[in-house]
Formats: sequence, structure tokens, C-alpha cells
Amino acid sequence: MNGSRKSGWIALAIVLVFFSVWEAAVRFFEVPVYILPAPSRALATLIANPNLYLEATALTLGESLAGLGIGVLAGGLLAVLLIMLPGLEGGVMTLAILMKSTPLVAIAPLLTIWLGFGVVPKIVITALMTFFPVLVNVLSGLQRVDPALTDLFHSWNASRWEVFRHLRLPTALPFVFAALKISAPLAMIGAVVAEWTGASGGLGRTMWLAYTNLNLPYLFAAIFILAAAGMLLFRLLAWLERKVVFWLPANREN
Amino acid sequence: MNLQIESLTHKFSSGKPPRTALSDFSLSVDSGQFVALIGTSGCGKTTLLRLVGDLLQPTHGSLTLDGQKPAEVRKSHGIAWMAQSPALLPWLTARQNVALAQQFIPVNGHPRLSVDGILERVGLSDVGNAHPFTLSGGMQQRLALGRLLAMDARLWLMDEPFAALDEITRERLTAELLELWQPLHPTVLWVTHNIYEALRLADRVVVFTPSPGRVAADVTISLPRPRREDDPRFQEILSRLRSALAYPSVGQVTS
Repeated sequence: MNGSRKSGWIALAIVLVFFSVWEAAVRFFEVPVYILPAPSRALATLIANPNLYLEATALTLGESLAGLGIGVLAGGLLAVLLIMLPGLEGGVMTLAILMKSTPLVAIAPLLTIWLGFGVVPKIVITALMTFFPVLVNVLSGLQRVDPALTDLFHSWNASRWEVFRHLRLPTALPFVFAALKISAPLAMIGAVVAEWTGASGGLGRTMWLAYTNLNLPYLFAAIFILAAAGMLLFRLLAWLERKVVFWLPANREN
Repeated sequence: MNLQIESLTHKFSSGKPPRTALSDFSLSVDSGQFVALIGTSGCGKTTLLRLVGDLLQPTHGSLTLDGQKPAEVRKSHGIAWMAQSPALLPWLTARQNVALAQQFIPVNGHPRLSVDGILERVGLSDVGNAHPFTLSGGMQQRLALGRLLAMDARLWLMDEPFAALDEITRERLTAELLELWQPLHPTVLWVTHNIYEALRLADRVVVFTPSPGRVAADVTISLPRPRREDDPRFQEILSRLRSALAYPSVGQVTS
């Protein structure tokens, strides 16, 4: 408790130092606002337009979480399927790696052409981005079962389903959290990239408009929101991980 | 449960080079006997245990338990397995670990031991709600013993269950194991590389030759328990076992 509070203060201090140096440098070198705005300027823009940013954030966050949910579900279920039908693993993984290696920036405009300017292509892109880390992590988690425990369940004459429920699934849980912590920030990026290529709203759209007008304080205000949201999401998942997979050495109290 | 092993051979053909773990191995064990299997590392004693427990299939030879195949006995929950790692589920409490094992055992007319009764027998009543990682190594193995009791099996297969414990805990658990075993009297195959442990526990010690494993010596120990090391008969059997381990020759049977 004491240690985590202390590290929290240290983190806050580092962030404050970073922004102070940035602020001081912009003022000292008199950097023009169309090159790099001071953080205070970006923050002022954010406070001056609460509704604009609130709406954009709600939309982007909604798309991210929907895409993340679908990606996690699809990746998780496919991992389970590959455990049950191990013969498929090679083929499916090759396809998944091919998909992962395709630059999403290239696919995003296509999806916009196919699916329109609404939320659907954003959710699809986000799901595609988050799907792969979940698949890989959960699959390796489900395979990482202690052989001594496999022997034991065999001696109990446990069915495949019982082994899955009582052994593989809890063994994979820490890997699910590792996947979520990687995927959640990726989900935000996915939604923003998709919005950038054509959207009627959202933080990506706000950033694109600000960028084309060289209105950098607007752009940075959106970046700050994204960074903060990504970090909060990550922290939330880390907290949840400590509560759920309490048996891991790193999460034990004392 | 009696055990009949005839001309059993097991080869690990996937290894490089392929290895013969057991070669033409025969052994007959009476129901209720406590048999220690002893030998150097890699002599095939764990392989034998895994073959009996239906965790491996033999390459040649026959192996029956009360006239049945190991797979049939395993499926009717006649075999309880315990290894060097306590193999507890870390996300379950001590009580839940025992209860999970029991969940797999069908009720065969006679009442099951209660989970709390089992925890009491292995001296863990106070820590039923604790998770395994909060328990010491000795307590974890006690919990694994409790889970073994929960199986209510007629054959216990134990692969160096106390080998990872310190000497003091090990001796105490060995004594406790005997107390748990005596009223139930299942057949026990106990793999070890500790001669003293074998002598303290077993009705009979089977010494393996180095790989591929065969019976180098088969020594019946009729000393009453608890056995004392300063007993001259203990020392006499000890030196006989030592020489069998040091100069193994196939087929030497003594009693």
C-alpha cells in the first residue's frame, strides 16, 4: 500500500516535470503555436470547448470499447477452438499473422468505402487490431498448463470440458489480462486511425480537422484526452488484474 | 488391489537417441502392500509408476490391477496419484482443493469422508480457507495428501512426494503418512531414491538396475513400525540395500 502510493507520487512528479519542461521550452524559445503549442494553451482550448470534446471522446471511447469487446471475444473464442481442435492451429495462425501484418492504415479507407462514415468501420478496425494479441496470449495461456496438474486431472478421469473449466481457463486468466493491457491502448489507436480516414465525429475526426487547419492547440487537446484515457483504461485493467488473478506472485499481498 | 506385471518393456522412441526405460520387467504385488521402488535417476521407476497409473502405455508386456487394465481401474477412480510437486490449484482454497478432487469421485454406496474430516486428518483444519501460496511447503504436501485421501482409492501411486521438502518436515510427514495409510491399507507404490525413507515406510523394497530398469533386488521388510535406525536388523537390511544399489545384478531376491 505504502509502496504503491509512493510510486504513484513519483509517477505524478515525472509527468509534472515533463509538462513543465515543455511549457518552459515553448515560452523560452518562443516556438510559434502552429509548430508546437504550450501544454497550457492546449488545456485552455480543452476547457473552452467542453461539449465538443466530451461528445468526441464519448464516440471514440464507445467505438474503442465495442471493437475491443468484439476483438477479445473473437480472439478468446478462436483460442479455445484451437485448443479443442489442435490440428487447425497451424493454418489459422498463419492466416492471423497475415492479417496482423497487413497495415491497417491501408485497410481503414477501404472499410470506410465499403461500410460508410458511421461507427461500423471503426469498430471493425478496432476489433481487427485487438483480435491478434488476444488470440496469441490466450492460446499460449491455455497451453501453459502445469503437466503435474494434467496428470492429476487424468488420474481423476476428468473430461476435456472439466479440464478446460477447472484447469485451462483459470491458468489462462493471467494471459487474458496481459492481452487486455496490450489491446486496450491499441483499441484507442484503432478507433482514431479509422476516424482519421473519414468520419462524422470522434476524436480522430477532431484531430484531422485541427491538423488540416493547422490549429495545433485543438489537436493537442485531443491527444491529451487520448493519452489520459489510454492510461486510465490501463490502470483500471491493472487494478482488476490484481483482484482477479490474486494468486500470481506479483499480486499477492505482503 | 493386487498388481501383476509380466515382461513389461517400455521404449521412448521419440527421444534422441531412443531410450528403453524398462526392459522385461516383472513384479507381483499383493493387495495392501506398501512397496518402495528405489534406484538411481533414470532407472525407469517413474516410468513404471506412470504405466501403472495409465499415464503411459507400455510398448510390450502385460500389466493388470485386480485382473483389470490400468485404464479401466483409473476410470473407476481406483487410482490416486501424488507427485513431488504438490500440484495444488492456486486459485482455490485448501478446502476447495480437496472438494474438487471429491467432485470427480462417484458415491459408491458408502458415505464419503467429509472435506472437513479430511482436513482434520492431515492437520489443516485451521487453514481450510487459506490459499495454497500462503501455506508452507510441508503444509502444501499435507494438503496434497488430504486430496489423495479424498480419492478413496485402493491404489496409491506416489512419485517422490516428499523429495522437495527439508529433512525434518520430510520425516514428520513420513510418520504422518504411515498413520493415514495403516487404517485404510491401500496398495502403495512409492518411488524414492532415499534408502532410509524406503526402510522406514515399506513392507517391501524393490531395487532397480540402472537404465533400462529391471529388478536388481526384492527385499521384504518384516520389522514392526515405527522402525528405529539403531535397531541392528534395520542396519542389516540397510547394508543389504546399499550393496544391491551399488552392485546391481538382475534377479536377486532376498527376504
